[in-house]
Parts: sequence; C-alpha cells; structure tokens
Amino acid sequence: MDYTQLNTTQRQEMYDAIGIQSIDELFDAIPSEIRCDDGLDLMPALSELELQRSLAEMASHNHGPHDMACFMGCGAYDHFYPALIDQLISRGEFLTSYTPYQAEASQGSLQAFFEFQTQIARLTGLDIANASLYDGATAVAEAALLATNTTRRKEVLVASTMHPEYIAVLRTVLSDVDIKITMLDATDGIISPATVEAKMSDTVAGVIVQSPNIWGQIEDWDGCFEKAHSVPKTAGIAVFNPIACGMLKTPGACGADIAAGEGQPLGNALNLGGPYLGLLAAKESYTRKMPGRLVGMTTDEEGRRVFCLTLQTREQHIRGAKATSNVCTNQGLMALRASMFMTTLGSDGIKEMATQSWHKAHYLAKEIAKLKGWEMKYNGDFFNECTFTCPCDVTKVVEFCKSRGVLPGVAAAGRRMQGLSTGDELIIAVTEKRTKHEMDALVALLSEVSA
Amino acid sequence: MTTIEAMKKQSRGDKPIEPLIFEKHVAGVIGVDFPPLDVPETEVPEGVAGGSTTLPSFGQHDVMAHYTHLSDRNFSVDGNFYPLGSCTMKHNPRINEWGAALPGFACLHPLQDDDTIQGALRLLYETRTMLEEIAGLHEVSLQPAAGAHGEFTALKVIRAYFADHGQPNRTVVLAADTAHGTNPASCTMCGASVETVRTVNGQTDLEHLKEVIAIVGAENIVAFMITNPSTAGLFDANIKEIADIVHEAGAKLYLDGANMNALLGRVRPGDFGADAMHYNTHKTFSTPHGGGGPGSGPIAVTEELAPYLPIPQVMMADDGSFYLDRSREKTIGKVRSFICQFGVLVRCWAYISACGPKGLRNVSETAVLNANYLAAKLCTTYSMPFFDPKNGKFCAHEFVTVPQTLLDKGVTLIDIAKRMIDYGVHPPTMHWPIHDCLMVEPTETESKQALDSFVDVMLQIAEEISSEIELVQQSPLESDIARADEVTAARKPILTFK
Repeated sequence: MDYTQLNTTQRQEMYDAIGIQSIDELFDAIPSEIRCDDGLDLMPALSELELQRSLAEMASHNHGPHDMACFMGCGAYDHFYPALIDQLISRGEFLTSYTPYQAEASQGSLQAFFEFQTQIARLTGLDIANASLYDGATAVAEAALLATNTTRRKEVLVASTMHPEYIAVLRTVLSDVDIKITMLDATDGIISPATVEAKMSDTVAGVIVQSPNIWGQIEDWDGCFEKAHSVPKTAGIAVFNPIACGMLKTPGACGADIAAGEGQPLGNALNLGGPYLGLLAAKESYTRKMPGRLVGMTTDEEGRRVFCLTLQTREQHIRGAKATSNVCTNQGLMALRASMFMTTLGSDGIKEMATQSWHKAHYLAKEIAKLKGWEMKYNGDFFNECTFTCPCDVTKVVEFCKSRGVLPGVAAAGRRMQGLSTGDELIIAVTEKRTKHEMDALVALLSEVSA
Repeated sequence: MTTIEAMKKQSRGDKPIEPLIFEKHVAGVIGVDFPPLDVPETEVPEGVAGGSTTLPSFGQHDVMAHYTHLSDRNFSVDGNFYPLGSCTMKHNPRINEWGAALPGFACLHPLQDDDTIQGALRLLYETRTMLEEIAGLHEVSLQPAAGAHGEFTALKVIRAYFADHGQPNRTVVLAADTAHGTNPASCTMCGASVETVRTVNGQTDLEHLKEVIAIVGAENIVAFMITNPSTAGLFDANIKEIADIVHEAGAKLYLDGANMNALLGRVRPGDFGADAMHYNTHKTFSTPHGGGGPGSGPIAVTEELAPYLPIPQVMMADDGSFYLDRSREKTIGKVRSFICQFGVLVRCWAYISACGPKGLRNVSETAVLNANYLAAKLCTTYSMPFFDPKNGKFCAHEFVTVPQTLLDKGVTLIDIAKRMIDYGVHPPTMHWPIHDCLMVEPTETESKQALDSFVDVMLQIAEEISSEIELVQQSPLESDIARADEVTAARKPILTFK
C-alpha cells in the first residue's frame, strides 16, 4: 500500500480542476530521455500482513541483549528504562510533528526541549545545553569546532583514551578545515596532567578528555583542565557518560568549559547504534556560537510564559555558509525520550542506577580477578566498565560465551575498534540490569574457557 | 469586550500554562522503582564521588499527565494538515513503528559480531540496494544521520576523490540562490567555499552557471549542488544540460534529494547525470519527523566515487550471508559512531517494501497531482509566480505563492500564517526560497477532502483580509498562546530554567 487516498473519480475531478487530461502532462518538464518509464527494479509491494511476517522473520534472525546477557558497552549501554517512555513517545503529537518553527503550534515540543536543555545543563554542572545533536561522536566533533570557532585557534589536544570511533569522526570532521589534532598519550590507561602540560601552547583551542574512557578508567579531568586553562580561553572539553554524572563528579565540577556525550543511556534503546542523541553543554559564554537548535523562554503578546526556537541567526537556514554548524534535523524524539527518562527518575533515580552499576561492575571485576590468568589491564578507578587481559585468545572467549547465550564484552582488538589494541583484552560493562546470577554465570564461563 | 477579545478569552483565557517539571518537583518521590542491590557494595573513593545533581522528579501519574498535556499543545501530521514546504510531512505508517520496536531490532548492541545480527544486516543490505535502484546510482552509504549530514559526507567523498586524482585545489562549490541553507553550511564544514548561481523563474540560469564557472575557474570547482525539483517547486527542464556543463568543467553534480518525493519511479538522479546525492528518509520514505529528528540521510554515488564512502559498509558474501566491511582503503573514514540510524532505516525498509515499484511511482504522481490541484484552486487569490497551467507551467510536488495583493491590503505574511493556526492548519514554509512567499507541500497522503478544506481555509482568510482584517492581524486568536516575543528571546536568551 502506498498510503495515497484518492479514487479514480476524485483524480478525474482534480485533473479537470487543473485542466489536464492525464497525469503525464504534469511531468512534461522532464525531458523524455531521462524518464524512468520502465519502472524500478524492486520487489513487488507487500501488504501489511506480509510486512509483519517479513519484519518479524528478519528480527528473529538477530540475537542480542533481548535474549542474551549483555556485558557490552564501549559507548552504548544496556540500561533499564521505564515502560512509560515507549508509550508516551508513541503519541502522534510528538512523533509526527516537525522542528517547532511555529511557536504557537508547537508549545509541547518547545517546552519539552527547554526542559531537556535545563536537565542536561544541570546533569553536567554547566550553564546551557542545546536540544541535541546526532550522537556522541558528532557531539565531540561539534564541541571541538565550538572551541576552535570561539578562539580562532587551529589545534585541539585529544586524549588517545577516547572512544576510537569518536576520534575517527573527529579526524573526518577536522580534516578539511585546517585544524590540527594532537594526540595525548596515556600513562597507565589515563591521561596525565603532565602530558597535557607538555603539549599546551597558545595555539590550542581545546583539550578533549573522555571519562570514563574507552578502557572504563576514570580520568583526572580536574588536573587535565587545570593545565588546559594555563593558556587563557583554552576550553576544557569533557566527554561524559550521563549516567555516571548521577554519582561521579560532573564535568562542570571538574572545571570543564564544554561537555559532549552520548545520550543513549538516558532512556534510549540500543537500536544497533542509532538513532541515539548527542549531548552538548557549555558555559554561558559559548551561547552565541553553539551549534544546533536552542529553545528559549519568552513571553507572548498577552504576557504568558511561552517558549520558542531562538538565536536562529546562528543557524544554517538563516546564515548559510557562515552558520555555526550545518546541522538542521537533530534527534528531537531521542531528546524527548531522554527528558522523559530524567523526569521519571530524577536525581535520586539516576543516582540509584549509577550506584547499582558501580557496585555490580566492581563485584564482577573482583570475581573475574580471582580467576587464574585474568588480570585487570589498569588499576585506576572505574565506573561501570573495566578491561581485563585474557589468559587465552579473546576471540575464543567471545565465541564460547556467545555459544552459551552471553555477550561477554567488547574485544579491544576487534575490527570494529579501529585498531585500539592488538592484545587479548576484553572490555566488560555492567549496568544495573545485570543480576548477580548473570555475573556469576559469566565468571563460570570465563573460568571454563580459559581453563 | 470586542469579538476578538472574546475569541481570545474563550480559547485560552483561563487555560493555565503547563508548569515546568522543575516547578512540579516533589522531594523524595520518583516515578519508578528499582530492585534491591543483589551484590556486596564497593566503596566509592572520595576523589571521584560527586555531589548531588538537581534533576527534579515526581510521581509516575504526574509524569504521564505532564507529557500528555504537552502533547496537547503540538500540531502534528496525525492531527493537522501540515503542508510545510520542502519537509514532506506525509503520513507516518504505524507498521513502520511496529517493526522498529521489535526486540530483535530495537535491543541490538552496535558492536555485536555479524553472525548475531544477520537479520538486521539483511535489512540494511536490502535498504541499501533499494536506495541504489531508486537513485540509479552505483552505491549507497547508509551512515549519515540526516540530510545535512549526508551533504557533508558526500562532499567529503567528492573532495577525497579529487585529492586522490591530483586535484586537491578544487575547493569551490556552486549552489543555486534557492538552495537549502544546509548546502552552503555543509560546504563550510568541508573547507570549501561557495559561489552562488542565479535562478530565473525557479530554473537554473545556464548562462550564469557558465559565467560563474569561467570566473571561478573550472579547475577549482568541486561540484554544483542542485535541488531538483528546485526549492521553488519546479522540475529543472535543463537538468541534462546542467549536468553536461558541470561535467565539462570536470566537476561533479550533487543532487540535494530533499525533493525526491516528486521523482520516485519517474526519474532516477543517476539517469540525469547526478554523481552524488542524499536522501532524507524522514521526508521521502515516511519515517517520522519526531519534532526535529531523528532523520536519516543515506547518500548514493557513482562507481568512481564509491571507493571513498564511509566505513563500515554492509555487504552480502558469496554464501548469501551479510557482513560489515571495513576494508575500503580510500574511505573518508567515519562520519558518526557505529553503523547508521538503524531504527530509522527499519521504517524506511518497511515503507519502500509496502509501496513497491508501482506504489512509489504513484506516490510521486499523487504528490504532484495534489500540489497542482491546490495551486489551481488557489492561484487566482494567492498569486503564484511560477504556476500557469494554461501555458503548461505546472508545479512539482510543492508550489510557491507570493500573495502580494493580500499583503497590499495591510497584512503581513506572518499574519496569514498565524491565522492558519486558528484553522488547525500548520503554516507552510515562509520567506523561502524567495521573500514574502509561502511554500506549500501537501504530500500524496492527504485526501481530497483535506485538500478541499485547506482551499476553503485559505479562501476564508483572504475573505477576512477584505472584510475583517483585524481577525488576521491579531491572530492567532484560537491557539493556546498569542504570538511569542521572539525578538526578546534572542536578545536576552533564557535557555535554562533557573
């Protein structure tokens, strides 16, 4: 079904109103030699019943966190979210609206995005936030551009311990705009403030450090950003996990000027990697250079408190080539999910999730560390994710666990990790969803496969 | 009390504003509970433990009430005629939502091994090949997250191609003066500068195109970015010639696919000479706009550009299994994390599969028919610079009106737009691509009754401008709020609640 709604009589009435005999006349402007009159080479249409069958059939060929115990993380986490989110987000008034250009017809979306911006600002301990970007990686790239645009400097220092895909996207985005990326080498799995200090100069626009980092280690944001600030106006850019903000020191509390992160853990399904949402928060001084949609509070002509899109002169549809970013469509619905999630849980609920993840991850790490040959790669503080060096081939570990219905973690040497490592390391994440039973089962499997 | 004041009072006078979540906070109450911790605790060292964040919370029922109230304050495709030009606000089929929500799709971790996600990879591979066929181009990358992101990605691909072919100096992109704002903004993000090509009567000015090429120097040009049908709602009859001129300069023709809804199954961009293009699945392929995303912006390119596409690419192996390929040595790299907007592409697959080849052709035909029908019904009252059916000048899937005779009576374009809100119609795109215009795109999924009602509304507003102009000048009268003060909002931005 193509979802059109006209019958033959109606079509004829419409032809008459236009003054045409056939539909082809409306396409006369298209030169005949480029028309595709033989039809597209696609499968014939499927009815809705057939679609349901096909979709269900394809879905049944996938196995993952819905039918396996998932200890995979590295930027996407199997967190709990309340059932009400799927229900509320299905409301057509949210689902089928568009960017709220017309304030008088869009107060619902506008107020929700204003609330979202405030929640993200509070969660990160910063002043402002935008209404979302595509994902964590693009948010990091936009954060780097925000720093370089603000300072007009041409270099960013980047922690080598950041997610390798974020580094890859940053390289793509910065490759043609004459901005140099200087990598910061790690010491014991984290970036030492001394390393930042050694690379600092007055050409540096920003220092980007992710915490927890790709190995799960908590970085010394305070120390790194203090060194960043040794040069005036250099931005400390914190790449953060929003759930970790529920119990650990926030980017703002550690002296960050800009915070960028992946918002998926806030009430969004894993979805094989998307749609997710990028989070971007900053100190107030960055307001007029922020990329993406911003919603502001104002009043209407009758004095009522209302909301509208604001500072649109930053944006591509007004400013064209001089816009702060090309972003137009962002991840509105994902931001709304994140906001609903934060509203349902509040500080107490997010802290509970974070705390349970912490305790469970540490319990599991202690249990694995008891196994012969299994060693933690780094001994610094971690949050919900840690890295173990396996006593045997990591691929063997992953395959064995998969065969027993468990996704044991992410192999650091895996081909999806952009050459992060060549060793037999397994990065293991634990959320509040994992039970003691599942963790004990994983420990037993790891013991068995490495025996 | 005047009639107008009475109308305002009746519609919104005593309706309370919805409090912000920060004003509803109830200390100690949250909307959901957790199981007790089932493992021993591990102390959190002082150096890493944070203070408390200040996110509000309250009970579950009030969470439901809050968002239900907010949803009441939104126009949507489901509830309203929403002819937002260039945005293709078509019906969003719920089978698409049903499919995307299946646990076997929604719960997959992006770093899982290929052998655990064969169904998902098959869906992506089929989507890829379907989009290749619809474009008439060699290869599609599903990675870009939205249309503008697709523009950026494709421009990077083209620039990488030229760099690889010893022409790194090609750094100028040509774009029509009616281009989407994202076009020049994407160029800037790729380190390219933009030169504008004039349009005349909504069509590319060929002479000016040649002139700009001569001035800039053919050897410096990356691409010409064209929207076809143009943003003025017209098929560019000279598209073949344009492609020839661009190719003669050694540059590439880039199609902004925002208006693919008018071409589906009728014309394939590859057949008229496009080298690269992006789709907006949220426009053309019915994936919901979601209040501003998620979108998805797959790009399609010719064979010579394909080696530069982002990784990973979804492939089919000889044995019929599917895998994510990273071995593309000339790739531009990655433009986002992980693979693509997978959940959006499930919906896209379901839509294309529901339509089939004949359905897709009927989509573009009906979209164009609906637009021309509205234009024909309205053109005597709302003047249309490019629409003249008696002389064979039709519009594509959308049309532009510059209602000058109405504006001359003492209303602004905004007055007309806001009055439409009173009639439950979402205003069209305004002041773009030309000044003082409304751009109307009804899409193919509207019924004839809905189109006729819209005609009635527009004629009624025109009548009011003659008979009772204050109704229009002071609109909206029947919405939840009066006009928002956007000037103060921008001058003294308040972006968070304090």
